[in-house]
This record gives sequence, C-alpha cells and structure tokens, in this order.
Amino acid sequence: MTDYTDKIKEIAKRVLAEGKVDMVIGFRAGTVPMMNQPHYAASAEAVEEMIWDSNCGLNLANYLTDKKGKIGIIAKGCDSRNIVTHVIENKIKRDQLYIIGVPCTGMIDHHKINAMFDKEILKVEESGDQITISGSGFSETVSKQDLLAENCAVCTHRNPVEYDELAGELVDEQADVDQYASVSKVEAMTADEKWDYFDDLLSTCIRCYACRNACPLCYCPTCFVDESRPQWVGKSQDPTDVRTFHLLRAYHCAGRCTDCGACERVCPMGIKIREFTKKLNKDCKELYGWEAGLSLDQRPPLDTFKADDPEEFIK
Amino acid sequence: MSETEPKILSFLCSWCSYGAADLAGVSRMEYPPNIRVIRIPCTGRMSPKFILAGLRQGADAVWVSG
Amino acid sequence: MKNLLEHTGIEPGRLHFSWISSAESTKFVDVVTKITDEVKTLDPANKKYVKTEPKVD
Repeated sequence: MTDYTDKIKEIAKRVLAEGKVDMVIGFRAGTVPMMNQPHYAASAEAVEEMIWDSNCGLNLANYLTDKKGKIGIIAKGCDSRNIVTHVIENKIKRDQLYIIGVPCTGMIDHHKINAMFDKEILKVEESGDQITISGSGFSETVSKQDLLAENCAVCTHRNPVEYDELAGELVDEQADVDQYASVSKVEAMTADEKWDYFDDLLSTCIRCYACRNACPLCYCPTCFVDESRPQWVGKSQDPTDVRTFHLLRAYHCAGRCTDCGACERVCPMGIKIREFTKKLNKDCKELYGWEAGLSLDQRPPLDTFKADDPEEFIK
Repeated sequence: MSETEPKILSFLCSWCSYGAADLAGVSRMEYPPNIRVIRIPCTGRMSPKFILAGLRQGADAVWVSG
Repeated sequence: MKNLLEHTGIEPGRLHFSWISSAESTKFVDVVTKITDEVKTLDPANKKYVKTEPKVD
C-alpha cells in the first residue's frame, strides 16, 4: 500500500492549491516504528510529510467532529463509513469535505509484532505484501496476511463507500470470512463461563480511556465516565466499574460502530475491546439488517421506528 | 426457590405502567411486594446507565415497563 | 441491551421489559407476579454485578 503515498501527496497538493480545502487530514510517520500520527497539512510543505502504509490504522474520522471550514480527508473503507456516520449525526456537513478514498488491504497489528520479539523493534519496512521487521541484531520478513489486525482480517468493506476521488484502484472485497467467529464462540458458553471470560479479558484494563479517545463515535462533550452528579460509574479499577465502563461504552456505539479497530489498536494493554461492540454489531445485523455507515440516506435502526421491529424480549 | 425476598428495581412509564400500578392499587389488587418503583416520565427516558447502576448497587433484577 | 448483558454473563432473568397500558391493572399484577417468581428462582448469591469493597492485601 506504500505506493498510494505519492498519489495522496499529489491529490492533497492539488486540492490545497485549487483552494478546495483549507487542510488535508492524513498520516505522517511517528517517532517510533508502527506508530503513525495523524497529520493536518495546510501547506504543500506539510503535505510532503504525509505517508501511507500499513500502520495507518487510526480512524481519521475522529478528527472531523464539529470542525469548521473545508477539509480534505484521507479515508480507508472504515474511515469512510465513520465519515458517513458523522454526516448522518450532523457532526460535519458533507459539502465541507473532500474525501480522498484509499482502497485498503488491511492494517498490521503492532501488538502482534511486538509480541513476536523480545528486543526493541527499530524498523518496520513494507514492500508489497511482505513486512520486514528489524532491530539491533535481528531481522525477519513476514507475510502481511499473518500480521493483519483482527478486524482487518475479517473486514468486508475495504473500499471506501463515499469519496470524491480515489488514490488507487478499488480492491476485491473479502467474501468468505466469518466476521463474528469470536462472538459465536462466546455465545456458546454458559452464563458463568461468559462471566469468567470477560473477567479475564478486562482484568488488565487500567481505565486510561484511550479506546474512548481514539473512537470516532465518542464525541460527547462530557463523557459519562467524567460525570460526577450522578456518578454512573466509579473511577477505580474495581472489576464492576471496569465492566460498567466497557458495557456502557459499547452501548453508546450500538448501531454506529464500523469495526475500525481503533480502540484495540490504541489499547496499551492489548485488551480485545471489540468483543463488546462486535456482539452489538452482530445483533444489529441480525435484528435490523443494518451495518453502520454504508449510506447517507438511511437513518440508523436505533433512531427510527418500524412496525415490524423485533420485540420478542418484551412481555 | 430461595428464602430471601429479591429486590426488583422497576422503571415504570408515568403514563402507562405507573398508571396501571396506580389502578391496581385503587382496585385493591394484590401483587408481590418485591418491586421498588421508580417513575420515569416516559420509557424514552430510560438509559442503559440506569440498569447498570441499579445492578451495581445491589438490585436482584431490573424491570423496564412502558 | 439485554443481549449484551447476557453475552457477558449476567443471567437473562435479571432484566425484564414489558408493555402495559394504564388501563391494564390485571396485566400489571400478572407481570409483577411472573417476574418476582422468576427472579426468586435465581441464586441470590449470584449477583455478580454488585460492587463490593475493594480487597486490601
């Protein structure tokens, strides 16, 4: 995917020069390997810093909330779906945006790579579908397919759904992946096993709220975790409080989550946060036939009423 | 069946179930005393926060009724 | 709501929803009785979600 970089730069410079946008939101290299930073480029010099590779997993739609002026944004499949969600939720206007679509072949998971080596990784290079990871005294080349982030491995919307211009040819969508394999596994457990599974899953959570901050859906002016009158959820690392936080965060994303994986990517403890949102995504798909962010004209299921909405759970 | 009496936290819509509860009372009907009623202006006021807060603070079950 | 709570291991009988009109006092009594009976069958010691005092080592 590195070959998109030149094309992205070219488009970004052009739209800036033509005055179509005031700035372009993209990525630049981070200070450590695999940690690309979001980058606001408002001049041709700033555009030069832009890059595109398999570490651009953060969701750039997160940076659009309530922005003024005309903005160019680089969007993968998941970003574009979140941009659609933002437009539907009136967080930005479609005509403020110039979307540069990037067909994506998946992002790599830095948790996986870090777990492979004991030593510090100094360089991660990409060529085609091979990733070369090196540090002092070691170097290894691995197929990108083996390093894909879990959400990318089961992604079925790799091409942007909404764009003004493409930075590359559309890619084939993955067809025969089971998006909800992990959910089905948990569904088969008994109530006690489920409880223990999630206890174990969340036991390392340090309540840093990185997942919330990276999430393009979490834009409430005051998050429920910061409210103190009434205080809905304790601020400690008590297992009940941790679980309350994760459950409520997941509910806020119900019918909106695009499974971009930003929450998991930024989690310093490597918690599989998607286990919660994924279950709700699955329910939304099964109950309402809905996947978030695919169309600008449809209202999400949880803010509309239809006479045939499922109601088996109501007595 | 357990010996202890469970506490069921009930969120009743002011216009529907709360009215029904009122009518049940006026009509001198009998029902189990295990529910603890919170009247909400409409079930639209309901939030997952309420349910989790209730369970967290010791309710045996939560009942939402519109 | 209910689905995810169950998914994470809270017994299904701990959350109920219903629709009762203000004229349906008999249905109200019915539902209260049913729910109470159902909750009584659950193990009271199994209230996993209750916040407990933190353990001090």
